[in-house]
Amino acid sequence: MLEARSLSKTYSGDGTDFQALRNVDVRINAGDCVAIVGKSGSGKSTLMHLLACLDAPTNGSVFVDGNDTAALSEKEKNTLRNEKFGFVFQQFFLNGRDTVTENVLLPLRIRGASGNTLASEAAAALAAVELSDKAKKSAKDLSGGEKQRVCIARALIGNPQVIFADEPTGNLDSTTGAAVEKLLFDLNRDKGITLVIVTHDGDLAEKCSRIIEMKDGEIVNERTGGAA
Amino acid sequence: MKLWDLIKIANRNLFRNKLRTFLTVAAIFVGSFTLTMTNGLGDGMRAYVESQVKNFESDSVIIARRKIEDADANRPAGSPKEYKEAPTNENADAPLDPNSILMTMPQIENAVRGIDGVKSVTPRYNLKAEYITLDGQKKYEATMSMMIEGVKQKTEAGRQIAGTGEIVIPVGLARTLSDDIQNLIGKTATIGYKDKDQKLQTLPLTIVGVATKGFQTNTASFVDVGTAKMMHAAQKNGDGPDRFVAFSLEMNTADPLVIAAAKKHLLEQGLEGDTIADNQKRIYDGIAIFKVAMAAVAMIALLAASFGIINTLVIAVLERTKEIGLQKALGMSRGKIFAIFSLESVLIGFWGAALGIAAGIIVGLITNKVLITAYKESFDGFNLFAFTLPSIATVLGIVSAIAFLAGVMPAIRASRLNPIESLRYE
Repeated sequence: MLEARSLSKTYSGDGTDFQALRNVDVRINAGDCVAIVGKSGSGKSTLMHLLACLDAPTNGSVFVDGNDTAALSEKEKNTLRNEKFGFVFQQFFLNGRDTVTENVLLPLRIRGASGNTLASEAAAALAAVELSDKAKKSAKDLSGGEKQRVCIARALIGNPQVIFADEPTGNLDSTTGAAVEKLLFDLNRDKGITLVIVTHDGDLAEKCSRIIEMKDGEIVNERTGGAA
Repeated sequence: MKLWDLIKIANRNLFRNKLRTFLTVAAIFVGSFTLTMTNGLGDGMRAYVESQVKNFESDSVIIARRKIEDADANRPAGSPKEYKEAPTNENADAPLDPNSILMTMPQIENAVRGIDGVKSVTPRYNLKAEYITLDGQKKYEATMSMMIEGVKQKTEAGRQIAGTGEIVIPVGLARTLSDDIQNLIGKTATIGYKDKDQKLQTLPLTIVGVATKGFQTNTASFVDVGTAKMMHAAQKNGDGPDRFVAFSLEMNTADPLVIAAAKKHLLEQGLEGDTIADNQKRIYDGIAIFKVAMAAVAMIALLAASFGIINTLVIAVLERTKEIGLQKALGMSRGKIFAIFSLESVLIGFWGAALGIAAGIIVGLITNKVLITAYKESFDGFNLFAFTLPSIATVLGIVSAIAFLAGVMPAIRASRLNPIESLRYE
């Protein structure tokens, strides 16, 4: 599904170069549930950004379904992210003034979809995260856990093959965090959606089937998780 | 995402910060309002002048005058002009006098010799009447002019001059003479004038028409060429040859090439020729220049307002950096981000222009009403402000275009944002 070959990323600025990623090789298969762990600055976020085609590597290649993404135009990368990937971020990035439904529909709107199926698709996505009763509320009126569940619904609505979750429980207390985790793992198990979770939360990582540990831009260890 | 969806998004974004949007729109409003008013004033003047000069029409009659050239045009300002000795002018066909604008008939004939397509040449006969009256009515002071053949004149009643012994009178005089101006057609008016010996003579003329109002027809009565020639001969003083300030050339055709050739020929003879259409165009051009000059002032206000748009959008890009980052991460293209911000900019311009135009039209129409009520006499048939669809569409187009240009820089900034950095933006 996703494959990185000798991936390197160097950030240049103010005359100093920072090598965030050094020759990383990794393969993520369809249906995997992968945690990428490490301290801040270990390169785990950079790896996720490169795998998700949000950024271009300095060296090396990312293959999606066997195709080298370096060969894709910006427009094709946009389409790839929109149709195959879903994103859940620590900071939610919801539009507080818009309704929950509008927020959930964003990927479909970007895709150019319109018509009367949109409402039912939004309703289905919200039902999957058990927020059907909040559909017409403004996003700003929700609690933190509810907001993250809206984000999962937003990641879900485009029927993605992979969901990238960057510290999905980082802003949540343990109870609501657990509910969000459960939602993500259920999606992985029931719908076969590949899950790539970036976290420094050891407990969350342990629940994944694969745990990739990173340090100083390199993968230092990979093991199978217990709980999953 | 369809254009309509983008417009809806852009409009919703504008409503997020109502006060800021309102203030930006207000600046555009002021500029659009001013532009609407200045255009309205120009169009109003144009419509009025047109209504005043349009009652004479011809593109086949050239009116020619001496072109007095100042050979010493480069002399210092304020210094006197050198006197040039005139040729001995006792002979009617002597060369043109450089110190005078007058021409004798032989001189005129000399000047037009060789011009193709001339139907007739008529000098401008100067007429001076003492009064005009109708049987049993008071005598009224009268101004007399000669009606040039080949020129169309609009009339309120009757017809224009077509034979000899005819007169067309101004509508003000006609209303004084009769409650129903139609009754005057066919009646005989008596003109009183003094001959060269200062003896009062009378001349009966048939009223064939009542002239439509206009700059030249508000006070003057018009007579045919034959009558004018006869009156002029009776009034001529002295023994020297007749001298005229102008003459008219009636051409066989309105063909622009023939007219242009005739004008060129006249110019070579030291004469300037213009058709009535030329003179009207000159007046309209003058009004158009006036309109553009006033519009330029309004454009300065719009220029200032466009900086308001730039400012508003630059702040909006900063405020919405994270949102833009998310949209780009979820696959929105640069083009669409650019389009959303550009549309916000154009919408600010559009709303400002729409409100400014509406306010301008309302104020203009109220002003027209007030002026007509207060100064009925002087403003009869005159609307200070006129609003035409092309003018309004132009204002809307110009303002929207300015707004679009103002939005380009912020929109490019938004479209170029890096999604990862934008999502991290604090």
